[in-house]
Amino acid sequence: MTTTANAATIAHLADAPAEDRLAAAIALVARQFPDRTAVVAGAGGDGRRAIDYATLAAAIARLEGELASARPVGIVARAKRVESLAVIAAACGREHVPVAFLAEDARDLVGELREWVVLDDSLTLPPTAAAGPRHEFATVPPQVVVATSGTSGPPKLVDHSWDSLLAAARLAEQWHGRGWLLVYDATRWAGLQVWLQALLTAGRVVVPASRDPDLVANACVQEEVSILPATPTLLRRLITSGDRPLVSGMRLDRITLGGEAADAQLLAGAKTLFPQAKITHVYATTELGEVFRVTDGEAGFPAEWIGRPLPGGVRLSMRRDGELLVQLSRDTAEVATGDLVERRGDRLEFTGRRSDVIVVGGAKVYPKRVEEVLRAVPGVADARVYGLPSAITGELVAAQIVVHEPLPAGTTPDQVRSAALAICRERLEPHAVPRLVDFVKQLVTTPAGKIPRR
Amino acid sequence: MTPLEAIAAAIRTVLRDTGRDAHDISAGMLLAADLGLDSLDLAQTIVLLERSLGIDPFREPAAGVTRPTLRTVSDLVALYSSALDLPPRSTP
Repeated sequence: MTTTANAATIAHLADAPAEDRLAAAIALVARQFPDRTAVVAGAGGDGRRAIDYATLAAAIARLEGELASARPVGIVARAKRVESLAVIAAACGREHVPVAFLAEDARDLVGELREWVVLDDSLTLPPTAAAGPRHEFATVPPQVVVATSGTSGPPKLVDHSWDSLLAAARLAEQWHGRGWLLVYDATRWAGLQVWLQALLTAGRVVVPASRDPDLVANACVQEEVSILPATPTLLRRLITSGDRPLVSGMRLDRITLGGEAADAQLLAGAKTLFPQAKITHVYATTELGEVFRVTDGEAGFPAEWIGRPLPGGVRLSMRRDGELLVQLSRDTAEVATGDLVERRGDRLEFTGRRSDVIVVGGAKVYPKRVEEVLRAVPGVADARVYGLPSAITGELVAAQIVVHEPLPAGTTPDQVRSAALAICRERLEPHAVPRLVDFVKQLVTTPAGKIPRR
Repeated sequence: MTPLEAIAAAIRTVLRDTGRDAHDISAGMLLAADLGLDSLDLAQTIVLLERSLGIDPFREPAAGVTRPTLRTVSDLVALYSSALDLPPRSTP
């Protein structure tokens, strides 16, 4: 019953207007399978909660009623729970009320949304919301506003349409009714994509109680997660630091990587652990949305993609310095992505973001390249490389290393450190060899699940 | 730990990290000619000293003090001693 019982009906929803689709999909599943779980929160932990489709549909109908009578200018979704965000999105879509999702670090931007009404997990409009005539926008009002992650500059608000938000949400029937792991922040673009796709396909969103690798693996096994969208950093942590028997007990059919570049080592590791999984690497930016996806399991993308139109009309080109340029369609401008690529054989591989480049005494260092070298050192589970300000050389390369637990008998962290530095000296330019190496239990990740570089 | 001890320890770490022999280090040694330290090595030494001594005199230069030319280990000792408000001691 978990797979395609109502897949055909769900597929028909694709013809409904995009703004209606989420509410319609949830209502449909609620009618046919009221008890089916829509969201599992705190999965793998003590505070597990499950919310079924009937409960979700009832909450949407209630909020729709409130919105219909109050007609607010817009709604700022400030709920913490995924099910509340889904209720807000579905009700706002159906009532044609603009909705904004503001992640924690973008809360200050609420000032830009004057007169919009803030809605939290109580899902109740404040009494003041029911006042005045409907606001008239001078231009076409936005439908969905999402804040950028702020990894490359301060967060800013980006307008989207329901059509663009749901563009990637069409999935073949074999993917309907599945368990989806949500490790992303549910208010950001990547997180929104996960829960929207799950709820539009009669699936369930599984939110682990924390990002601890063992707990995540446990949640995946218990809740029968088969679709795992994650950043390479989060997947790497699961593979290298998670309890082996637990992680290999996961039955993944689909792994979708995004947010950062996936290197060959990680892709090979994922293929070995989850041989039945279809591994996809999505290249997207908050401003452009999804640009392309790579499904051949290799790092980077085919070099021949440069300069010829891709399916959907996307055109890629490369600046002299290796920055990837994207033109989404003939009538849109070419956009500099800030992502650097380098040719290796017949592939173009990502070397990192332009803003991540560390400049040591005038020479450039790509932190991702140094991380790849460090991760290949025996005993090293994961590594983060960043620039440390220096009065003498401008910046200095610094590294944090997570060692495999336990290390092989007789190996000390100090030996791993010496070996790591020796291998770096062998494979990297002298200025790229880390000058400060620290051991950490776990790498710090941003709320978006990426490695911070500064 | 005296500034000299901290500086000697930092330089030894730098030499070891870069695959060179860690010598005995004394105050009169020339940073470049005797110890073979380049600007990158010096930058690392300063980061290590910020950790062991808690200050970076290059980042927060003491008021009215211009950055001295650093040629010898004792130049470094003098710089850190003044930043730490210690009287520069005669070398052992």
